[in-house]
Amino acid sequence: MSQVTGAQSLVNSLEAAGVDVMFGIPGGAILPAYDPIFDSKIRHVLVRHEQGAGHAATGYAQVTGRVGVCIATSGPGATNLVTPLADAAMDSVPMVAITGQVPSLAIGTDAFQEADIRGITMPFAKHNYLITDPADIPRAIAEAFHIASTGRPGPVLVDIAKDALQKMTDFNYPTSVNLKGYQPKLAPNAQAIADAAELITQSSKPVFYVGGGVIKADAHRELLEIANLLGAPVVTTLMARGAFPDSHPLHLGMPGMHGTVAAVTGLQKADLLITLGARFDDRVTGKLSTFATNAKVIHCDIDPAEIHKNRFADVAVIGDVKHTLQALIPALKAALKKNQPDLSPWLRQMNSLKSSYPLGYDQPSDGSLSPQYVIERLGKISGPDTIFTSGVGQHQMWAAQFINYENPRTWLNSGGLGTMGYAVPAAMGAKVGAPDTTVWAIDGDGCFQMTNQELVTCALNNIPVKIAIINNESLGMVRQWQTLFYEGRYSNTSLESKRVPNFPMLAEAMGCVGLSCERPEDVDATIEKAMSINDQPVVVDFRVHRDAMVWPMVAAGTSNDDIMIARETAPDWDSQEL
Amino acid sequence: MAQHTLEVLVENSPGVLARVAGLFSRRAYNIERLTVGPTANPEVSQMDIVVSVEGHALEQVIAQLDKLINVIAIKEIKPESAPEVHDTQPDYQN
Ligand SMILES: Cc1ncc(C[n+]2csc(CCOP(=O)(O)OP(=O)(O)O)c2C)c(N)n1
Repeated sequence: MSQVTGAQSLVNSLEAAGVDVMFGIPGGAILPAYDPIFDSKIRHVLVRHEQGAGHAATGYAQVTGRVGVCIATSGPGATNLVTPLADAAMDSVPMVAITGQVPSLAIGTDAFQEADIRGITMPFAKHNYLITDPADIPRAIAEAFHIASTGRPGPVLVDIAKDALQKMTDFNYPTSVNLKGYQPKLAPNAQAIADAAELITQSSKPVFYVGGGVIKADAHRELLEIANLLGAPVVTTLMARGAFPDSHPLHLGMPGMHGTVAAVTGLQKADLLITLGARFDDRVTGKLSTFATNAKVIHCDIDPAEIHKNRFADVAVIGDVKHTLQALIPALKAALKKNQPDLSPWLRQMNSLKSSYPLGYDQPSDGSLSPQYVIERLGKISGPDTIFTSGVGQHQMWAAQFINYENPRTWLNSGGLGTMGYAVPAAMGAKVGAPDTTVWAIDGDGCFQMTNQELVTCALNNIPVKIAIINNESLGMVRQWQTLFYEGRYSNTSLESKRVPNFPMLAEAMGCVGLSCERPEDVDATIEKAMSINDQPVVVDFRVHRDAMVWPMVAAGTSNDDIMIARETAPDWDSQEL
Repeated sequence: MAQHTLEVLVENSPGVLARVAGLFSRRAYNIERLTVGPTANPEVSQMDIVVSVEGHALEQVIAQLDKLINVIAIKEIKPESAPEVHDTQPDYQN
């Protein structure tokens, strides 16, 4: 066999792993790899900041279900990837990051652009490697893709010393990966399935508590089938929007801090939570000791460490949630033949909550633009096949609330880490992964100013994303907390972004079309204008009212029982039979 | 808090001690004692870890340790009985 450089071995390995696109920026330590990349069939998108490369890889992974790949140099290149790696870990996104490292003999000497990126990412990466011998490159890449994409997906970092890229080696891509300490279990335990089916038939108030794992496992069809079979209500978390159609009559909406009254109360009053790929996050449970106190729990998850972590599970089903549902559906059918519980009183209660407390908002009295209205119209005009990404803040919550999601992989956001700046680069990656689909990023004026430079990348690389800036001239979500909990003392939350920057001009400067809209009557025409431009990225500056707040709300650290539908306004519980 | 002794077989790869120690610090588990030694297999080392935890928390510690790719097997050494085996296949569910 002829010898190749470690760099060539890396690129051959990436090709063998099935990579078709990667996002990155070169630099000294990774430079040897960029020479064979020049000749590779893998598309390399040259970004403007490594954070953009990381979130683009995430966006690509979220829409395609494949592993997203990003690549950077040592030191600052690698540390710029830390945020997207942590983000991918929190949201269980399959991702492989390749970084160059200083030459092996220089490691530990505080060499130029040396940073211990393996050490830095150890607490959150699913796994990571430091490669100093070129012979180890193919195996490390094969293992990295295997680990990232199987079990509970997550980010894997492969850090490669520069001399390992330069030396000659044999290229042998392993045909199989066998890791003694990593054998994720896909098939559920038969007894656990039987116990789950049994528990379900004993429940008169069950709720399907659906998390992002259902989307990761492509189990949305099975979810639809089991929900229809049992006829029980469903809630979809922030990470699971789209896993179950919003139009379905059994859907109560999103639970959690800004969830619907029906979804939050449904979980609270349930006698059984059928938990599918969800993790009892504090943003869903509120004060944990008061969460769903009368409910038994069936917890289906691929990660054994999620079981009993926050909430005790009466029945734990460890496995891929698609396999789990495929086993549970026939078991439940059989169990229901023997014992069909009457869920109609429970459904009546839930439907009453749903109709009494729909999501809503007030139009500003001064005729200015309401952010919720803009987002609602974006959803309606763009339709259910559109992919939406968002930043973090009020606009994120409104995008989760006021857009109807009918399909999985159409809603991408930073749920676990809450990373401002996610929307634009994630939209870029999503559009690369789904070039024929309309991709809208719904972004805040604050978030947009963190990562908008990737619009240059989009403009130059024919990645025509659409960006709706919900410009409330402030760090709106933080301002909302200041309104509610700090007596309206607005310390450092005013961005003045209706004065500076001029977003449409900024967009034009980056090679995009810049539009602006500040009157309700212009919203539809502006969205339609943006929808008609498909050969360039478009940025719309929606100049909205700044005092709008996100409701309902369960204040941090309080009980879900204390959900508020407006300032100092609880639902009228006396009018509900619960 | 009760003390528990875990016998952990790990791949003898660079950084594995940092991974285990880092896990304990990040998840705020208390390590009372930790020793590392060789096994008959040069590719595998053994860590003996004494932790102080209550109730379900021990299961969490074991499950989180199990998630480390370089951790091959975990045994809990009970003072006066046979060791309870936790291999990396999570068969302790339910
Ligand atoms: C990187 C980062 N820094 C700080 C925060 C804290 N934070 C959460 S929401 C928010 C305000 C976001 O403002 P904007 O993008 O304008 O969105 P809005 O809430 O106004 O819709 C801030 C600062 C964060 N989530 N991420």
